[in-house]
Amino acid sequence: MNTMRLINHSAGMMGRHKVRTGFMMIGSFIGVAAMTLVVSVGMAAERKLVKLAHQMFGESSLMIIDGGGHMMGGPRNPGTRLKIDDIEAVGKQVPEIESWDAQQGLTTSVRRGDSADTAQVLGESERSEHVWGRHAVQGAYFDDSAVKSSERVVLIGQTVVNQLFGNEDPMGGEIQIGPVPFRVIGILEPWGTDPHGMDRDNEIVVPITTLMRRLTNVDTITGAKLLMVPSAQETQVVKAINTILRERHGLTADQPDDFSILTASEVQQVMASIKRILSLYLPLVAAISLLAGGIVSATLMVGSVNERAAEIGLRRAVGARTEDIRLQFFVETTATILAGGVAGILFGYVLAHMGATHMHLGSVAPWGAALLGIVSSIVVGLAAGLLPAQRAAGMSPVDALR
Amino acid sequence: MIQLNGITKTYTRPGGEPLNALIDVSLHIDDGEFVAIVGTSGSGKSTLMNILGLLDVPSEGSYYLRGEDTAGLAAAAQAQWRNKRIGFVFQTFHLLPRTSALDNVELPLLYSDRVSIRGLGRKALESVGLGDRVAHRPSELSGGQQQRVAIARALVNEPDLLLADEPTGNLDRRSANEVMAIFQALNKSGRTIVLVTHDAEIASHCQRIARIERGRIVADQRVTEPKIALQEAL
Repeated sequence: MNTMRLINHSAGMMGRHKVRTGFMMIGSFIGVAAMTLVVSVGMAAERKLVKLAHQMFGESSLMIIDGGGHMMGGPRNPGTRLKIDDIEAVGKQVPEIESWDAQQGLTTSVRRGDSADTAQVLGESERSEHVWGRHAVQGAYFDDSAVKSSERVVLIGQTVVNQLFGNEDPMGGEIQIGPVPFRVIGILEPWGTDPHGMDRDNEIVVPITTLMRRLTNVDTITGAKLLMVPSAQETQVVKAINTILRERHGLTADQPDDFSILTASEVQQVMASIKRILSLYLPLVAAISLLAGGIVSATLMVGSVNERAAEIGLRRAVGARTEDIRLQFFVETTATILAGGVAGILFGYVLAHMGATHMHLGSVAPWGAALLGIVSSIVVGLAAGLLPAQRAAGMSPVDALR
Repeated sequence: MIQLNGITKTYTRPGGEPLNALIDVSLHIDDGEFVAIVGTSGSGKSTLMNILGLLDVPSEGSYYLRGEDTAGLAAAAQAQWRNKRIGFVFQTFHLLPRTSALDNVELPLLYSDRVSIRGLGRKALESVGLGDRVAHRPSELSGGQQQRVAIARALVNEPDLLLADEPTGNLDRRSANEVMAIFQALNKSGRTIVLVTHDAEIASHCQRIARIERGRIVADQRVTEPKIALQEAL
C-alpha cells in the first residue's frame, strides 16, 4: 500500500510540469495515432481484399484473359485472338471444367432521358450468375434463349440505378446503351469498390451476343471464368488449357502465349505481398515515429532529473530509498507516455474510421490496434523511463541538495 | 543520542588531490540538547551535518546514533531512519514548487510504512501556526512561512532528532526569530536539535555551541543563559 501511495503521488507529479508533460504526450500521441491508423486501415483493407478475392474466384476456379505477359498477376499487351470458341473447346476437352462463362467488356455511356452515366458494360451468357457468383437482388438473369436471340435486356448495378432512375423503380424501364435501347430486367447485387478503385456497382450485364452484334461488332472476348470440379488439380488443368489454346492459336514453340491464365494461387501471391506491406512495413513506419517520440520523452525526462536535483535530494533526506526515486521517475515517464498513447488511439481510430469510409473499406475494428497501441506505449514508456530513473536513483543526496 | 568518535571525511578533488573536510571529530550530544555548530563557510559544518543525517558516510571513525553503530546499517535501513527518526530543515527550504503546503508537509509520509496517515500533515502545520495555510503554495507564502512549512514537514513523522542547516540564513530578523522560537519550543518538549549556523546571534539561542574550523572542533561550550526568542508571531 506504501508503493501504491508512491505510484499515485508520482502520477500526480505529471501535472506539475505541464509543458514537459505536454511535449512528451505529443510524442507518444503522434506515434500511437499513426500506428492505430495504419494498423486498423490495413486490417480493414486486408479483410476487403480477402472478400474480393473470394468474389473473384470462389472455391476453385480460374480465369483466362486475352493477351500474354504478366505483371503483378495482371495481364499486359492486350491481344485480339481469344474467342468464345476457344473457351468452349477448353470446356469440352478438359473434364475438370464444370462450367464456364466468357465475357466481353466495353466502357460506354448509358442514358435514360436526360440522365447519363458512363458505365462498364459486360457481355455474358446465361451461366453468368452461376459462374461469376453475382446474384440479382431484383428480377433475374436472362436465359439461354435470350442469349441465342441477342435480346436487348439488361441487368444494372446500384450506381447505374441511382444515376439513371433516382428514386424511380427501374424494373421494366428502358435505357440506351450507346444508340441501342435495352429493357431493365434485373438489379445486380452490390459489390462495392474493387482493389483497382473500380466501382463494381457501376456495371451493366447484357447477353454477350447482343453486345458483340449491336454494340462492339467484334467477336473476340476480354476473358472468361472457368469453374473447376472440387477434385481438380490446378496445375494440371492450367497445363491442359495452355496446350489447347496454343494449338488453337497456332503458336510455335518459340512464340509466347497470347493469353493469360490467372489462378487463385497466383492472386494469393499478389495478396500476400500486399499483406506484407499492410501488416509489416506500414506499422514499422508508425513504430519509428513512436520510437522518435520515446527518445524525445527520455531526453526531456533526463533534463527534468537534472533540473529537479534538489527535489530528489530532499526526497532522499526525508526517507526515500533509491528504489523509491527510481520507481517515481519510471511511473512519471510511463504514465505520461501512456496517457498520450491512449489519446493517440482515440484520434487514430477516428482518422481510420474516416479514411476507411472514404476508401469504401467498410468498418474498422479498433481493438487489435488499440491493444497494440497500449502495449507499445507501455513498452516505449518503460524504455524511455529507464535512463532518467537510473540517473535520478544514482544521484547522491549530498550532491543533489547542494 | 549522538556519539561521534574520530570522524574524518576525505573528498577527492577533481585534480585528484585529497581534501579533508573533517579531521578527527569527536562529539557527544545527549538526548534533549539544543546544540549550535558554528563555523565559517568551508569549515566542514555542512559535511558534519550530512554525516549526522545519514546522508553521507565518514571515511574514518564511527558514528553511534541512539547507541547503534550506523556503519552497519544497510541503505534501506538508513532511509528508514531518515524518515522516522530524523527531521531535516534546510537554508533554502526545499519545498516542492506548485505543491500545496499540506502536500509538502506530507511528503515524508509517502516513504513511511505507517498505515494511517490521515490528519498528520494538518496537525504538523497547526503546530507551527500555519493551520490556515494548508492549501497555499510556496510561492504564495513569505520566506518565514515557507520555513515553517519545512519545519512542519520535518516534524510530521514525529522524529526525536532535528537537524537544521542554516535554517535562518535566508530569513529576515523577524522571521528568523519566529523560527528560533519554534525550535526552542520543540526543544522544550523533548526533541534533540542540532543547528548549523555562521551567525553568533542565532547560535546564542542554543544551550551549547560547538565551534568548527578547518574540519576540527576547536571549542565546545555550554551557554549559561540562552537568549529567549519571543513567540509573538505564534
